[in-house]
Amino acid sequence: MLPNFKYVRPGSVEEAIDHLTSEGARVHAGGTDLLGCLRDNVFGALKVVSINALDDLRGIRQTPDRGVRIGALATITQVENHELINERYKGLAMGASEVASPQLRNQGTIGGNICQKPRCWYYRGEFHCIRKGGNLCYAFGGENQFHCIFGSDKKCCIVHPSDIAPALVAFDARVRVSGHKGDRLVPIEKFYVLPGEDVERETVLEAGEIVTEIILPPIIEGTRSSYRKVRARRSWDFALAGVALALVLKGGKVESGRVVLSGAAPVPWRSHTVEKVIIGQKLDSKTITRAAETAVHNAEPLAKNSYKIPLFKAIIEEELTKIAIG
Amino acid sequence: MGKNCDEKTCNCKKGVSRRGFFSSVGAGAVVLATTGSFAADSPSKVLEPDSTTPITLLVNGRERRILVEPRWSLLFVLREKFGLTGAKAACERGECGSCTVLIDDIPRYSCLTLAVEAEGLPITTLEGLMKGEELGPVQQAFVEHDAFQCGYCTPGQIMAVEGLLRHTPDPTLDQIRRGVSGNLCRCGAYKNIFAAAQKASELKRGGGAK
Amino acid sequence: MKASDKPYYLRGIPVPETPAPGKELHPWKETHVIGKPLSRADAYQRVSGAAIFPSDTLLPDMLYGAILRCPYPNALVKSVDVSQAERLSGVRAVITGSTPGADLKWTYLQGSSTKLFDPHCRFEGETVAAVAAETPYQAWDAVQTISVQYQVLPYTVDERSAIEPGAPKVHQPGNRVGQPEKYQRGGVEKGFSEADVVLEQDYRTECELHTPLELHGCVAKWDGDQLTIWESTQGVYGVQSKVAQVLALPLSKVRVVGHYIGGGFGSKLQPGKYTVIAALLAKAAARPVKLFLSREETFLSCGNRPPSNMRLKAGVKKDGTLTALQFSVTGTGGAYPAGGVSLVDWLIRDLYTCPNVQTEAIDIFTHTGPARPFRAPGHPQGSWALEQMLDALAEKISMDPVELRLKNIPAFSQARDGNPKYTTTGLRECLETGAKTFGWREALQRVRESGRAGHIKRGVGMAACLWVAGGGGPPSTIIIKLFSDGSANLNMGASDIGTGTKTVMAMVLSEELGLDIDRIQIENADTGTTQYATPSGGSKTVPTEAPAVRAAAVHVKQQLLAMAAEDLKTQAANLIIKDGEIVAASDPSKKIKITDVAGLKKRGVLVGVGYRGPNPKNKVTNPFGAQFCEVLVNTRTGEVEVVRFVAAQDSGRVMNRLTYENQVIGGITMGIGLAMTEFRVLDKNETGKLCNKNWHDYKLPTALDVPSDIVSVPVELEDSEANSTGAKGLGEPVTIPTAAAIANAVYNATGIRVTTTPINPVQLSLLLSEAKIKG
Repeated sequence: MLPNFKYVRPGSVEEAIDHLTSEGARVHAGGTDLLGCLRDNVFGALKVVSINALDDLRGIRQTPDRGVRIGALATITQVENHELINERYKGLAMGASEVASPQLRNQGTIGGNICQKPRCWYYRGEFHCIRKGGNLCYAFGGENQFHCIFGSDKKCCIVHPSDIAPALVAFDARVRVSGHKGDRLVPIEKFYVLPGEDVERETVLEAGEIVTEIILPPIIEGTRSSYRKVRARRSWDFALAGVALALVLKGGKVESGRVVLSGAAPVPWRSHTVEKVIIGQKLDSKTITRAAETAVHNAEPLAKNSYKIPLFKAIIEEELTKIAIG
Repeated sequence: MGKNCDEKTCNCKKGVSRRGFFSSVGAGAVVLATTGSFAADSPSKVLEPDSTTPITLLVNGRERRILVEPRWSLLFVLREKFGLTGAKAACERGECGSCTVLIDDIPRYSCLTLAVEAEGLPITTLEGLMKGEELGPVQQAFVEHDAFQCGYCTPGQIMAVEGLLRHTPDPTLDQIRRGVSGNLCRCGAYKNIFAAAQKASELKRGGGAK
Repeated sequence: MKASDKPYYLRGIPVPETPAPGKELHPWKETHVIGKPLSRADAYQRVSGAAIFPSDTLLPDMLYGAILRCPYPNALVKSVDVSQAERLSGVRAVITGSTPGADLKWTYLQGSSTKLFDPHCRFEGETVAAVAAETPYQAWDAVQTISVQYQVLPYTVDERSAIEPGAPKVHQPGNRVGQPEKYQRGGVEKGFSEADVVLEQDYRTECELHTPLELHGCVAKWDGDQLTIWESTQGVYGVQSKVAQVLALPLSKVRVVGHYIGGGFGSKLQPGKYTVIAALLAKAAARPVKLFLSREETFLSCGNRPPSNMRLKAGVKKDGTLTALQFSVTGTGGAYPAGGVSLVDWLIRDLYTCPNVQTEAIDIFTHTGPARPFRAPGHPQGSWALEQMLDALAEKISMDPVELRLKNIPAFSQARDGNPKYTTTGLRECLETGAKTFGWREALQRVRESGRAGHIKRGVGMAACLWVAGGGGPPSTIIIKLFSDGSANLNMGASDIGTGTKTVMAMVLSEELGLDIDRIQIENADTGTTQYATPSGGSKTVPTEAPAVRAAAVHVKQQLLAMAAEDLKTQAANLIIKDGEIVAASDPSKKIKITDVAGLKKRGVLVGVGYRGPNPKNKVTNPFGAQFCEVLVNTRTGEVEVVRFVAAQDSGRVMNRLTYENQVIGGITMGIGLAMTEFRVLDKNETGKLCNKNWHDYKLPTALDVPSDIVSVPVELEDSEANSTGAKGLGEPVTIPTAAAIANAVYNATGIRVTTTPINPVQLSLLLSEAKIKG
């Protein structure tokens, strides 16, 4: 059951920000993650600030420079089905289509999705773990089959749960963050925080700041993208391993692009090592095999998640092969 | 409504119901509109904790005024306050779908929707699919294909199928399976649910029913 | 429905002959209603929202209850302070173990006894205190303000380490639940020495949780000293007796109603502490209380299918003759005796002909929630071991796995004293029919020919089974009332847990009296108004209740014919019922409409009482089955897609083709859960707490995890001995062989034998990569 809280639904972004600067205020967009966290007592809320009256935050449209602007309140279903996104940013549409369940995609927003809290069962459960202000990450010595193989900084081994964020990183999207001091545009790669920097937060959002929109840069000619996710069951499940690709192919070679892993690290994990192997190369089977090997080279599997090593290799190989074929 | 127009600026918004917002891209694809919006010019809504505030919910075509606490879920209000027990409580954490209702014609989990967040939006529950005492086409199809056992997840399954068919009248098997993939059935009647959804699609298209 | 819309078999149903009073009923030679694919008698209620499930109950002035549970797997409750909770707004009652009247005894199996609120909490989720308040939100607020001092004790939650020396003891004498259960026939050593091939393998099935969709709980209401409980239960009489016992009330003062139940699968065969707690809260507050557990609480405290650690050694001759089976299993029913290894070895003992068998079952206490029977207790676990072993043996002796099973079909029950025969045994027919329907040989051939190309591999697998029970038996009492207009009321204590019990019983009545189904009203599952019945479970409801319904219908018929005989001035033995009329067999012009029978008109209602008679002596009634499946395996990622299933089940007579099919589909779906998605995770190293107590972390199969291609082929053997309907149980056998069949198919596709559930990418991707390295 949900605890008590005050509810406000402001009529403007400024007002919402005012409310959110107060102690114990939490933002409510689709509410799917917030209400789950409140039920599980992951954190409390003195005030729930619904931003659902802020119609400026809705909608998906083309920007003057032929990029795309997605309002933070666009639902995941809207992202999944939007024609422009399917045409140009296929990997993002694919990521959106893999999120949770139809109802949650209908209700959840893209802003909420990229800001969602981790799904670690210790974090969500009755464990006073390090991310909740305790001094222990239970997963390191515990049940860590669904935890990370990169980026734990030896502090907290959650994986970032979003299927959308890796695709956004692959496309080099920017996140508009609005707060008291005005707006700032944060490249989504810089939006996330590793445990080593601050174990109690997942994003750079400060108190009173909200995500208002996401900007996708214009697509580069020759871009091919995809998102592939392996899960323990076929619906309503987070990634055991996933990979978002956005590669620019010219003359048979990878000219530029990004490879981003989900289910791998506390943040969407950009695999610079794979990018290094494939950029400037033809995507032949030799390169692909080498890329897959490299991907997990520096991985630090835990006692129960070493399966992620062959799994990431497999999907990177599969997806690069598909991209190569077109 | 143009294919890629922005809801906020699009002219086609005017003079049509919310359902007019829905556009489709490509054959068989679905675009669902935002799950409603509150008029931006309305003053801020404030509900104090531990006390109740009147709100108006539009349930199955009827306006119903109710005093709610801010934390009350739409599911709680439907079941325990309105006695509309078609929507079932089973997980109350957005993981099973038995509480599924249509909000603005879109299937959503009423357990993860605050009642106050559904203010002013058209809500359809299982009871709202009935025409008097007569079953709606999806319900009929569920009977015919024995698409349930214990019947507890059934209202949610029916609402998920209803929502799917309102936007995708002639779905493929894959679309059906995806459409009900947010609804658990522990008795395991999925195969029959798929068949019922196919039948319901035929009934709806053939019978001209909504 | 207009009369003209009726299917042919509902128009003027011919009625079977009526035996003279005292004569035994034999199964129908021919049926006109039974076996048809009829929609459920309560389908309208279940799809319209008209069905009021216990959790839908709303009573005037009703409060909501919530329970405070121990967050530790092993702790002593030193003190409980409820003062803050009592002061909260909306709170109307708070109870703890020291509340007058709440210091009550609670018993488990084998006389194991504890308290309703026991100061020693031996599993996470044990009850500590409870609250009733005006809203469930306020009740939960209050629960959270209760301050408890616990002395946290060391725990042991994994049965594999609980019997090691030094493991914390769950109960003082130690962590073994009694002596190991042993069984032996012949001599296994001799058997192994006669074998051409001997294999030995460890297997494990993970702990599964029932998690029916409707939460566990009830609404309790007192009227003076009369207690009424609306409970989500598989058996109202079971709840009645336990509540009456715990509260020391006469049975007559406890009425339990459970018209609908949103799934149970064994976890609602018994009441929980919540039932008694709801009654105590309602008493304390002097108002009705609705107490349904949260989903998370049901994961902790409402039972499970225990994990099974199995070892099986098997010997076979080149010709396929099984020579020896040696099996051991350890498991845990949790913190109290609850059948932790119950029936896991039954298939090893009894499914195939084998002269030399030895089994041992060791049940171990752990600091975990007590088990409850879960659909075919023990059997899917034993099947996981035995049926994979058979598959491996077949490969070793280069024999088709179907063939190997056909070689070892038993003619009688080997594991029971006196080796009784089965009333019918369809194992052979299930294997043959299933293989034929599936296209087994062709499918195997296709897999062989598809060869090594590509990383998506196809595989096929099969497994067979029997279910230890499924014959039903006494007691059951049924009352049928025939009204003067020819409509009838069927009154039965049993619950319809979703299997279609009500529908099947209405069909039996319809068959016997020639009534339209829609003229039958069913009253069931209410201790106040219906007859005694055992809980619905164990695949025994149809074979138990249907013969009693038939007997009651025949009782009505006999009285009706006797009355008509007076009207027609003839002998009752000379009369038959046809098209709603009673006709003299010798002179068809001599007839009377049922509704014109003077005795019926005068009396207003004719009452027939039927009892379930005894089962045949020195015979066993068991259902059998065989399932076949096809999978696609991504050999890089370990993703498995189940493409299709064929189930050939011998459950005797098919009572309703539609609900029969549904049971098969459901059993396979649940088996897919065991095989591929479900497992309980305990934080055994650090806290002993349950990690996955919700439906995201504990994964039930979704619509995308099951095939839409599931074919059920009933193997309908005539069983003239089992009971007067010839029906055997169905609900359990349909889920027994599923998981093993999938494992065998995965082996067929990949050459990897997955011996621990679940077969998911977590496990399989690793096994595949290791296999690749080994080459």
